[in-house]
Amino acid sequence: MNHPVREGEMKQVTLRPATATTPAPGPGLAARLRRPRVLAVLVVSVVALLLPQLLAGSDVAVYVTLLLSAIVVTGLSMLMGYAGQVSLGHAAFYLIGAYTAALSATHDIPTWLGLAAAPLTAAVIAALIGIPLLKLRGHQLAFATLAMQLILLNIVGQNEWAGGDIGLQGVPRLTVAGYEFASTSSYAYLALGALALVVLVARNVIASRPGRGLRALATSEVAAESAGVPVVAYKLAVFSLSAGFAGLAGGIYAFYTGYVAPGSFPVLLSFEFVVMAVIGGLGTIWGALVGAAAITLLLQQLNELGTAEGMPGYAPAVMSYAVYGVLLILVVLYLPRGLVPSAQGWWERRRAAKDGGGG
Amino acid sequence: MSDFLQYLISGLAVGCGFALLGSGLVTIHRVTRVVNFAQGMFAVVAGLTAGSLLSAGLPHGVAEVAAVLVAGATGLLVGIVAIGRRGTGPQSALIVTLGIGFLAYAGEILIWGEDPHSFAGLGGAVEIGGAHLQKQYFLVIGAAALGFTALGLFFTRSYLGKALGACASNPYAARAVGIDVTRMGLVAFTLGGMLGGVAGVLVTPLQSVSYHSDVLLITNGFAAAILGGLVRLGPALVGGLALGVAESMVAGYYEASYQSVVALALMLAVMVWRARRHTALYEEAT
Repeated sequence: MNHPVREGEMKQVTLRPATATTPAPGPGLAARLRRPRVLAVLVVSVVALLLPQLLAGSDVAVYVTLLLSAIVVTGLSMLMGYAGQVSLGHAAFYLIGAYTAALSATHDIPTWLGLAAAPLTAAVIAALIGIPLLKLRGHQLAFATLAMQLILLNIVGQNEWAGGDIGLQGVPRLTVAGYEFASTSSYAYLALGALALVVLVARNVIASRPGRGLRALATSEVAAESAGVPVVAYKLAVFSLSAGFAGLAGGIYAFYTGYVAPGSFPVLLSFEFVVMAVIGGLGTIWGALVGAAAITLLLQQLNELGTAEGMPGYAPAVMSYAVYGVLLILVVLYLPRGLVPSAQGWWERRRAAKDGGGG
Repeated sequence: MSDFLQYLISGLAVGCGFALLGSGLVTIHRVTRVVNFAQGMFAVVAGLTAGSLLSAGLPHGVAEVAAVLVAGATGLLVGIVAIGRRGTGPQSALIVTLGIGFLAYAGEILIWGEDPHSFAGLGGAVEIGGAHLQKQYFLVIGAAALGFTALGLFFTRSYLGKALGACASNPYAARAVGIDVTRMGLVAFTLGGMLGGVAGVLVTPLQSVSYHSDVLLITNGFAAAILGGLVRLGPALVGGLALGVAESMVAGYYEASYQSVVALALMLAVMVWRARRHTALYEEAT
């Protein structure tokens, strides 16, 4: 297992159009390519930091939802794009995080400790159930994760200690070192900080040697295994990591809303995360962020439209389901790589055409 | 003893529904390699359609057959979207059928609303050994037995059925002898839709359905089908019946709210057990 694998050999296995980064032939081109990227990160960060101040009351709540979804989807996108594993039950880990935070807070454990425990619990549980579950692949794993969430929802709904179907109410506000997170915008900053952490971790994992191993095993487990990638361990690690991200988002959610109930984590939420990841573009961090933002904002618009006067009561549900369905089908059939990689490809082709014409 | 008989028969009846759903999944998967996530939706559509047609005044029998045909047409539509475009891989097709499920939610809410619906099946009950058994149970079991026999004959005796089998075992060779593989895929989707429809029409009088019943239906159907590795009909039938009886026994002797947990845990156990025999090398080679 410890034999050093030469870079050249790894690349043979890891070449995948969706996830391959553009190799820079020279330092000049690299600097040019990097500049718009750095610029984009800067602009997005500044806007993200200013938004809680600029937005009006109820819009901040939407913003928090968006950020929490983005945290979950970043992990899911890594799992689906890099490790090639589909999870249709990711809301289960969101639930575990939320219940961990809520249970510990309602049992007089310091809230910051509860928030720290949320991602850890989710990650540990994922690692435990991942040992048997990750033996499955493709659609079998998809159904297994779905089944796992259904079982979990049932257990939580049946048990007194988890508050049954009513859930746990009266979760206190999060307090860290004497500062109480009271306002919605304070939770927006908290979620933003968590998202930044998650993106940083994901970025470093992707760029590391295990990240390349993951890309290899998504293409072919047999080839990766024979090239010395510890397939089982890496799959388990990325599953657990993405569950930890979801748990972190869940923990923040519990303190933010003040109550958790099984009804807040339906199977449809898991599907929603998959829709976000697929539409944005699997295996890219930008894709996860764009997917989460696009779907959350779209749903918000539809909801406003649907609850407008003169609309029948079922209008919001009908419209959001229809849009989900149509978007998912169109993206999978016509933009199978997702929005962000497709846009990137288009941009690079345009650049290449321009450069070719000029020189 | 009478309790046991009661649970057994009702479990078998519900299990027939799962078996029919599972056989629909198997039919589609065999030919197209697509796991159709919208399979539960066929049952929902058929159940709701039959209910509406009956309340519109159509007699029993006609309404149910019409509902099954509607489900078959829905299956054809799903097939066109899922495999009609060249180069759609099975994994993408799974996500596409998930999207179709969402789209179907919108349509179902628009037509039937969000509340669960049911309709009266075969009324009356019989007493056997002290057990009070609805006649509908026997209707379901009989109809499912008939359906499975017809399906078996179709696959082994008819030309179309044999062509479907050829596509399943070797698409390349099937194409070489002049079978249109894509058209056969659409036939499989239509058939799968009708099988799901039969399940829906039979089971709706026993338990009401609403638009989001499809998630539990598809997981149970998948659990039945996975016993035969999604390619064999016999084990899907056995799996469906076993699942139905197991759920019914758990609900009867232990706690009704845990019945789905038992079924799902059973499914997970079967899948993990099967996976031990099928290594990555085996799956990537086939």
